[in-house]
Amino acid sequence: MTHLNWTRRAIGLVAAGAMALALTACSGGGGDTTDDASDGTADTGGLTTIGFVAVGPEGAWRAANETNIQDTFTEEAGYDLKFAPATNLDQKSQIDSFTSFVDEGVDLILLSATEASGWEDSLKRAQEAEIPVILLDRGIEPDDTSLYVTRIAPDNVMVAEAVGEWAVSQFPDGANYIILEGPAGVGVVNERNEGWDAAVEGSSLVKVAAQTANWSTDEGRSVTETLLKANNNNIQLIFAQNDEMGIGAAQAVKEAGLTPGTDVKIATIDGTKAALEALVAGDLSFVHEYNPLFGDMALDAVEKTLAGESVEPYIIVPSESFSDVATTEAALPDRKY
Amino acid sequence: MSAPSPAAPAPSPVVVWLRDLIRKPFFWGIVAIVALLLLNVVKDPAYLAITVNPANGNLVGNLIDIMRSSAPVLMIAVGMSLVIATGGIDLSVGSVMAVAGAVSMEFLKYAGDSASIGVAFSALGLALLVSAAVGAFNGFLVAYVGLQPFISTLVMMLAGRGLAKVITSGQNTAASNEPFRWIANGYVLGLPVVFLLALVLVIAAGLVVRRSALGLMIEAIGINPRASRMAGIQPKGLLLTVYILSGLLAGVAGIFSVATVMTVDVTRTGSQMELDAILAVVIGGTSLAGGKFSVGGAAIGALLIATLDKTVLFLGVSSSATPAFKAIVIVVLCLLQSQRVRSWFTSRRASGGPGGGAGTRSAGDPPPSGGGGDGGADPGAHTVSSGDGAAASSPGGAGLASDVEAKEVAA
Repeated sequence: MTHLNWTRRAIGLVAAGAMALALTACSGGGGDTTDDASDGTADTGGLTTIGFVAVGPEGAWRAANETNIQDTFTEEAGYDLKFAPATNLDQKSQIDSFTSFVDEGVDLILLSATEASGWEDSLKRAQEAEIPVILLDRGIEPDDTSLYVTRIAPDNVMVAEAVGEWAVSQFPDGANYIILEGPAGVGVVNERNEGWDAAVEGSSLVKVAAQTANWSTDEGRSVTETLLKANNNNIQLIFAQNDEMGIGAAQAVKEAGLTPGTDVKIATIDGTKAALEALVAGDLSFVHEYNPLFGDMALDAVEKTLAGESVEPYIIVPSESFSDVATTEAALPDRKY
Repeated sequence: MSAPSPAAPAPSPVVVWLRDLIRKPFFWGIVAIVALLLLNVVKDPAYLAITVNPANGNLVGNLIDIMRSSAPVLMIAVGMSLVIATGGIDLSVGSVMAVAGAVSMEFLKYAGDSASIGVAFSALGLALLVSAAVGAFNGFLVAYVGLQPFISTLVMMLAGRGLAKVITSGQNTAASNEPFRWIANGYVLGLPVVFLLALVLVIAAGLVVRRSALGLMIEAIGINPRASRMAGIQPKGLLLTVYILSGLLAGVAGIFSVATVMTVDVTRTGSQMELDAILAVVIGGTSLAGGKFSVGGAAIGALLIATLDKTVLFLGVSSSATPAFKAIVIVVLCLLQSQRVRSWFTSRRASGGPGGGAGTRSAGDPPPSGGGGDGGADPGAHTVSSGDGAAASSPGGAGLASDVEAKEVAA
């Protein structure tokens, strides 16, 4: 009996060990960053080392953005890009990767923060180590420009404002609208709300509800379905803060027996291929791109920073909007995301 | 309360049934559902109205929406209640949902044929097979390797989501297949297919565990594994079966969830659903310590969670206040379920009130020896554990509620 117990315990231990190994491997991403921590850039053969603290799998937009950055900072271009995506969009995992990049002394850090607040300490550490930081896409709060070199991003406020202006022009006589937001507290959500509110202020549009649908199609549909019922289908406009939620909303609108485009117009931000296809199919009425392909602008800023030249504290990536079926159809084949 | 006892020595069956129902832990779950629905009715008197869509004859209404959205959590709650009854826990269900969703969407995308029933069935089968395999792996770790269920399923929770990402290469895969979409969006006899399917599976699970000795054996493992082994029950095989079942049901939930919008969202499909499932099970009166369990109770708990989600939206509670609102509802519910809290109230009332008659009766209530109908059906050991279970369930419940609050605040 005891003998049996011992064997079992031994097997258990071995299995536990294997599991622990598997777990460390899982937490990966940043795992390979510790390899050459001791000698910094010395062994990279003249390559400039860049740590990219990224968001990781989040949707088509993010995938296009991060692939674009990875394709830009290649070894041929003279860079060694260390890619560290967050684990399940968790800010703590990002801070960990950021800190390990600072510790190993990379030449520059690119940061796409999952959450806006809570970065001061990490950024100060990088500053003390004289490692420049460039923010990609997501900003930080409070926005202390002395803590980073520049932020390269399409402007959320401007984009949302453009959507708001379109909405005002579509409904000169007023309309009831709902907003599908991302998770409460995220910087993007605040900015997109700010731009929208600025544009629709003073118009005859009436905000009936604003609820989070967590960026997801599934919840976008479920939330819209209930909001439509709560307002007896008396909704003429839906502003979805990303494409996925808008596509979900379109399904809910159809399910409620209404026609997207005529009964309810849906406007979204991001401009993914799926959204443009939905626009061509008539499900969405307005899609404003939030251009993810700014690898070349990032490269330019990185080169200038490393050469000691001054860089604008905020570089806006231009984005276009789609509302017309014909132009959208023409743009579809070139869509990369 | 006062009516039956002085008048008749043998109370009418309706009264007995009612009294049994009130004593069931999930009774308060039903009360909470009714209260939430009433809250909605106060906001809009037409809330409960169900109309017929003239175009296709389907029923339309808020209750129908609740039914449809409750299907995934119903599935995982049933699986979870079995696992918890054995004294274990399955944290991997949310990730298994994502895996099942990823497998089916990838398959449908590459199969291409958007009208074929065969393709839909293959996708279903493949997704369920993978889910069962993940469940089997959990069961193997727990039953044969002897790892803690918490740890083994935690590993699968992390690895499962990773697996889903690998399957779709990090993308949120969308596909189109009408028969597959019908599972979550179709109607039969005016009711949503997805709810009917969930209901059939819940009833089937309930019948299987209660009409056979399976339920009793699962409880025996949860109450005392060694004694159950001495009594001739083979815990290993049973544990494996239970985890496979939980995996399978999570796979079904995943299919329900992705078929609604025909898109799998690898980071969000099934995200934190394991907590919802545990909550549903606890609301249903199953103790996290294992032992006595109730599939019906878990189903009530799942319906409550779906109702709560929809109520928050319908009332227009602002996004930032939503987690707090949900947490309050659940904390109140757990307090109501707790026998200790209820006995505080009754004893206070008894000491304060001049007439001791009602007070003494309610003080004698908690041990179920008084109710003749109750004691007769259950074996003795069972009754003892039921008192234990109910007492243990309440602190567990309160802890969970604060968990939920924490997770929501973090999000």
